Amino acid sequence: MRPEVYQYNFDWMLWRTLEAASKVADGYDKEYRRMLPYIPYFRGIVEPFINLGDPGIAFFKLIDKYLKNIVSAHEQGKKIVMSTFCFSPTIFYAMDIVPVTLEVLTTLGSVMWKRGATEYMDFCVELGFTETSCSSQRGCLGAYLAGLGEEIDMLVINTAGICDTNANAFAFAKTFMDKPFYSLNYPASLTDPEANQYHRDDFKALIRFLEDQTGKKLDQDRLGKILEEVARQEAIVGEMEELQRLIPNPLPVTYNFLIYGGRFFFSGMPEYTGILEEMVKVVRQNAEKARSGISSGKEKLRAFMFYIDHYALNLQLWDFFDKHDISHIGSILSRSFKDDSPYVKGMEDVAYHIDATNLDTMIDSIAMINSRMPMVRSIRGPYDRPNMWLEESLALAKMYKADCLIYNGTPGCRNTWSNVKLIARDMEKAGYPTHIMYGDAFDDRVESWEATAARLDEFFTVRGLL
Amino acid sequence: MMEIFEEAASGITNRYITDWVNSGKKVIGYTCSFLPPEIFHAAGILPYRLRGITTESMEISDAYYGPYVCTFPKCLLQLAGEKKLSFLSGAVISTGCDAMRRLDECWRKTGEDYPGSIPDFFHYFDVPHKTDPHAIQWFENEIRKLIRKIETDYHVNITEENLKQSISLYNHGRMLLWEIEKQRSLKDAKISGTDAFSIAVAGTVMPREAFNDALEQLLPDLSRQKSNPANGNRRIMVAGSINDDIELIRLIENAGSTVVADNICFGIRSESDQVDMDDEPISALTRHYLSNSVCPRMFGAYRQRFDLLKAKIERAGVEGIILQNIRFCDLHGSENGLFERDFEKMGIPCLRLEREYGPLTETGRMKMRIEAFLERMA
Repeated sequence: MRPEVYQYNFDWMLWRTLEAASKVADGYDKEYRRMLPYIPYFRGIVEPFINLGDPGIAFFKLIDKYLKNIVSAHEQGKKIVMSTFCFSPTIFYAMDIVPVTLEVLTTLGSVMWKRGATEYMDFCVELGFTETSCSSQRGCLGAYLAGLGEEIDMLVINTAGICDTNANAFAFAKTFMDKPFYSLNYPASLTDPEANQYHRDDFKALIRFLEDQTGKKLDQDRLGKILEEVARQEAIVGEMEELQRLIPNPLPVTYNFLIYGGRFFFSGMPEYTGILEEMVKVVRQNAEKARSGISSGKEKLRAFMFYIDHYALNLQLWDFFDKHDISHIGSILSRSFKDDSPYVKGMEDVAYHIDATNLDTMIDSIAMINSRMPMVRSIRGPYDRPNMWLEESLALAKMYKADCLIYNGTPGCRNTWSNVKLIARDMEKAGYPTHIMYGDAFDDRVESWEATAARLDEFFTVRGLL
Repeated sequence: MMEIFEEAASGITNRYITDWVNSGKKVIGYTCSFLPPEIFHAAGILPYRLRGITTESMEISDAYYGPYVCTFPKCLLQLAGEKKLSFLSGAVISTGCDAMRRLDECWRKTGEDYPGSIPDFFHYFDVPHKTDPHAIQWFENEIRKLIRKIETDYHVNITEENLKQSISLYNHGRMLLWEIEKQRSLKDAKISGTDAFSIAVAGTVMPREAFNDALEQLLPDLSRQKSNPANGNRRIMVAGSINDDIELIRLIENAGSTVVADNICFGIRSESDQVDMDDEPISALTRHYLSNSVCPRMFGAYRQRFDLLKAKIERAGVEGIILQNIRFCDLHGSENGLFERDFEKMGIPCLRLEREYGPLTETGRMKMRIEAFLERMA
């Protein structure tokens, strides 16, 4: 890593950047306009979010708070846990533990900084971690292994049995930093009684681990309140995702990023509910006017990303979609599968239920939430088994009237690269033009965004979609 | 005597498998050392650890697997597609790692496109990644499911008594293997690393009775044999990703070393590698096969594996370690980074060697790096 990169703490840099962004809209519009030329790269993120109005501005403020919590956690006497995006942070908030979620912080670096998080990715390799591992962890992880972040107190993941490269990154970090570690581990099946019992037992053991680490008992009242907040949030998201079925889709293109990003950062926090309430107002208005959420107001195509999105500088994937009048109707990260979400109809077995009646029902609920998180839910078993990747993707593609399906991931994703050709073939057979992107969602050195965009263009043209 | 083992270790099939199949008996292939072969043996079925050596192209497997995937499962799929595994009546795919567990789907789809390339009995065997009590329970359920499926599909009865006999036989085989391990790690070893590794690999593809008999004949011969002076050869341990290719070990030894120990999942594990005979057999198999956290697929158990390697180093007087991994094997690749850090600190030179699985297409490059490593040690 270049010596100058050592000079600044990763978490502080992110925090200060987002803190500045969160204040941009506080002044007069003229001040804001005069300021933009001074942030030639960062304006690519600032402008679209400010243009979203209250939800975008509030999103900045909430990420600012998330990051501030990290850098000040120890001053406040709180423990810090290193965790993963597909682990619901709800239990951490209930136990007053501050999460550092590797993938979402890598994403922040990738979309905000011209150099992305690549120097930190490479630093992992300097330490002996494989270059072929997933870039989503390597970015943030490299910074923490370099000591450029607040000290981590423990590591908690839920990707054993789901994603080797993810779990392996945390196992490496656990050894390297010599910190306590708990890994939830999932069986190949999702819905049978044995699997449900296992999810429950494993989560109870996790709670004991967290109690040992913090020296505090799980606060039942606090957990109940947070779960109720999660239920409120998911109800709003459910309404938006139901309206997303309309043609044209009334959701602004970046809303799906705000929805799942918000869930990974802030699930159960009341401020996130506030953002969602603002978002749903916009979506309702668009729906009433039969207006597309795309900037032009026109929808030419509906694309379903059946794995993850692409986080090149300035969220260029979303910008590309918006400029080409393509509705982004979600990815594997989008939907949470709460039992009252309208799209769950026909897939009830997969859904989770929130019941805050007593501690046992709450623990069951939170174990269910975690077992239904993206990836954890549908790439655990063979892809063509009931409820798994193929069935879920095709059901959602049909429900949301997708015109085409697109795969994007990272070369580190051993799991999906081992069967993406199979699922793409099945999707084509089902009548969906399907495109496999060969770049890296977090590292555009693998394939530049320009090359990725050219290939997307080619796909849309050759298949007669645009 | 060594020819028996070398022949069995050098090809996809061998004379024992041919005789076994010709006599109307069944063979089931399996993919991972976390699966107890005693179960198949107790059913009168020959357990066969799936191997990918002798693969000459990837034209079939590349149609199913993506590009960023380890070449070991790709080689298995290629051989299956070419019907070179047609002696199998069944296959069990374990969740050893992500690429390996997806062999389940890739092989099934290959079976649709290349009729006759997939055996009738095809089972997905889920293995936990930790050893907590609830994970042990889950693993035991998986073993019981597998037993029920074998009983149903093969019309056999796997009794407790049969299982105990099979466990006893396999324990005896492991004990004999440990004797080989002792011979190879002597100051003036009586058996080369290549031969010791051949024996271990042969044990995964030969009927256990024949394997034990052959070992019992070999061991007295070995102890009578004159010691093989080390001739200044460096004492090397090989660890890391899956390897069943004796040519890799031969390459390392031909470069001027003796492989006095290994920690590879086809190799010889440890003295304590015995299933408890006093316990109820399924429970004993469960605890034995899951609680040995010998593979980095068991996340968070680095310290156990480090201690295991350290014990092997001390016992065999290892002077340097070759930490190899197949490209895209992040589990071993990353752990090799940690081993390198910790063993180098202890003054034990390490070489990290990334390679492709299969015919040694990179022999020149690897030989040069190994020779440079041995020079560094000198």
